[in-house]
Amino acid sequence: MRMRYEIRITSENAPGTLYRIAGTMLRKKINIESLHVQEIDPVRHLSQFTIEIFLEPDLMEKLIKQIQRIVEVTEAKYLAIGENGKA
Amino acid sequence: MRSLIREGVDTIFGYPGGAIMPVYDALYDYKDKIRHILVRHEQGAAHAAEGYSRTRGKPGVAMATSGPGATNLVTGIADAMCDSIPIVCITGQVPKAILGTDAFQEAPVIGIVTPITKWCFQVTRAEEIPEAVAKAFHIASTGRPGPVLIDITKNAQIELFDYDPQAKYSFSSRLAPKDFKKDLPRAAELLNKAERPYMLIGHGIAISKAEGELKKFMEKSGVPVASTILGLSCISTDHPLYMGMLGMHGNYSTNKLTNRADVILAVGMRFDDRVTGKISEYAKNAKIIHVDIDHAELDKVIKAEIPIHADAKEFLTGILSLIKKRDHGTWIKEFKKLDEEEKKVVNDAELYPKEGEITMAETIRVLSEKTKGKAVIVADVGQHQMIAARYYQFRAPDSYITSGGLGTMGFALPAALGAKVGDPKREVIAIIGDGSFQMTLQELGTIRQEKLAVKIIILNNRFLGMVRQWQELFFENRYSFVHMDNPDFNKITDGYHIPNELVEKREELSAALNRLLKAKGSYLLDVRVKKEENVFPMVPSGASVDEVRIK
Repeated sequence: MRMRYEIRITSENAPGTLYRIAGTMLRKKINIESLHVQEIDPVRHLSQFTIEIFLEPDLMEKLIKQIQRIVEVTEAKYLAIGENGKA
Repeated sequence: MRSLIREGVDTIFGYPGGAIMPVYDALYDYKDKIRHILVRHEQGAAHAAEGYSRTRGKPGVAMATSGPGATNLVTGIADAMCDSIPIVCITGQVPKAILGTDAFQEAPVIGIVTPITKWCFQVTRAEEIPEAVAKAFHIASTGRPGPVLIDITKNAQIELFDYDPQAKYSFSSRLAPKDFKKDLPRAAELLNKAERPYMLIGHGIAISKAEGELKKFMEKSGVPVASTILGLSCISTDHPLYMGMLGMHGNYSTNKLTNRADVILAVGMRFDDRVTGKISEYAKNAKIIHVDIDHAELDKVIKAEIPIHADAKEFLTGILSLIKKRDHGTWIKEFKKLDEEEKKVVNDAELYPKEGEITMAETIRVLSEKTKGKAVIVADVGQHQMIAARYYQFRAPDSYITSGGLGTMGFALPAALGAKVGDPKREVIAIIGDGSFQMTLQELGTIRQEKLAVKIIILNNRFLGMVRQWQELFFENRYSFVHMDNPDFNKITDGYHIPNELVEKREELSAALNRLLKAKGSYLLDVRVKKEENVFPMVPSGASVDEVRIK
């Protein structure tokens, strides 16, 4: 069953990172439901992405690993926040 | 230039153009330190960099101008991404001031290559160059290797800055394996207790240079081993514990017995769909230990009982002392029995035909005998690739270079020239189909100009043979656009002043191969082979590995 997930990613604040993250989702035709990005550490130039998507749980586990291996990403984790269509 | 030299760059495969001209101007002053090889198409530069990387063991460098120069690199970059080959691509870009204005020869290269690179970066100021170059080489060659690209705007190529040769850059390897040693006792116990253990090896063994550790492990554990196409030559094909190749056109026993094994140890391979066949039916009786340097590969396709995030060499070194010495003779006999069947139904007729046209298999067999299995075989993509993989008897590591993941036709000729530059002492032989050859044959010009002693064998069946085979077997003989009305390859090769021969008869083959191998420079044979030859065994698309067919 598809779940609603919130993915939280910390990354270097570098151009193209959002594109790379979105690209891993595009490859699997995953639609982004909501997206928020902001710098969280101006000294170390770190940004945080909060992304909500719908996905099957087994695919979520694979997706997070693909996001984690992006060079600019320093941390990525996810949380199930509801079932299909319900937040 | 100095940044590149610092990374140990001695060779660049490239093609100049407007937006990269300042770099080429600087290259002119470094001719004695860096050998620039002018390819005939940028795709050739990327494949040559891959070939170089495979024989030299460090990243190959490809350089191109902006726009079309950069887009021509794309196929090679995607190929390197699929096969985890470290290459560093450097592209010129229009000046920063006119980025995004649809300037002449402008293409959004970073946007195009992001999904097919491990990392890429646009340099818009000269002082960014040293760190970007250092980072590029670090990322390309550490962890799971892969292609990287640096796009340098023209203004950054012209600007002056104070180069600090002492500057140090350190990059953390964030996804480095941590405490895999805790998993070793469990994995060893599983292997020690197994009745029918089976080891699958892949390119990861070659990348981590773990051939010696693999042999030690095999001989202590007694476990039979099969290889993926990119793992070929990591272990000599005459080793008594080497069972053969996996995959759609792998061996009969190696595929079929996957489903008999009770424990599978997979090291440095990624359970590609060409290896697994139907996933729901794959290795149903086995507990799987999967070892990979890329943690995203673990549990990606096949769920492992024990996933281990580790470098192949470190894993094999670590587990060796925990493994009991065993002999799996009875289990190995099951492989040998199926090998006999394969030999009777497939191999004998292909390898030793008495009449009719020359076969691809016998050409490879004779070549293998004459070179004693010690040449570097660079195969293109198609039937000839599978035949070369099946029948060349590899005796030395790093000896089979091919486009495994992406399946890029046109790969072999430029990759072979790169491989020859990477290791000039080894005999490099390109095995190419008539279809593949016509995709990148312009690189004969590079081979000629650089006087590279690349040997080329075209296995010419006047068909896109692999597609034809599928049409015969799965599309009711409806041969849709697979016949090729070819040009005279000998005349074309004459035009490049490369000695060549046409081989049409069986009795000519041996002597022609002798002349090819004896030649000091490049040499080409156009070998006319049987038109409608099929590659067997075959796991039909979507079928389970134990449904592998031998006819």
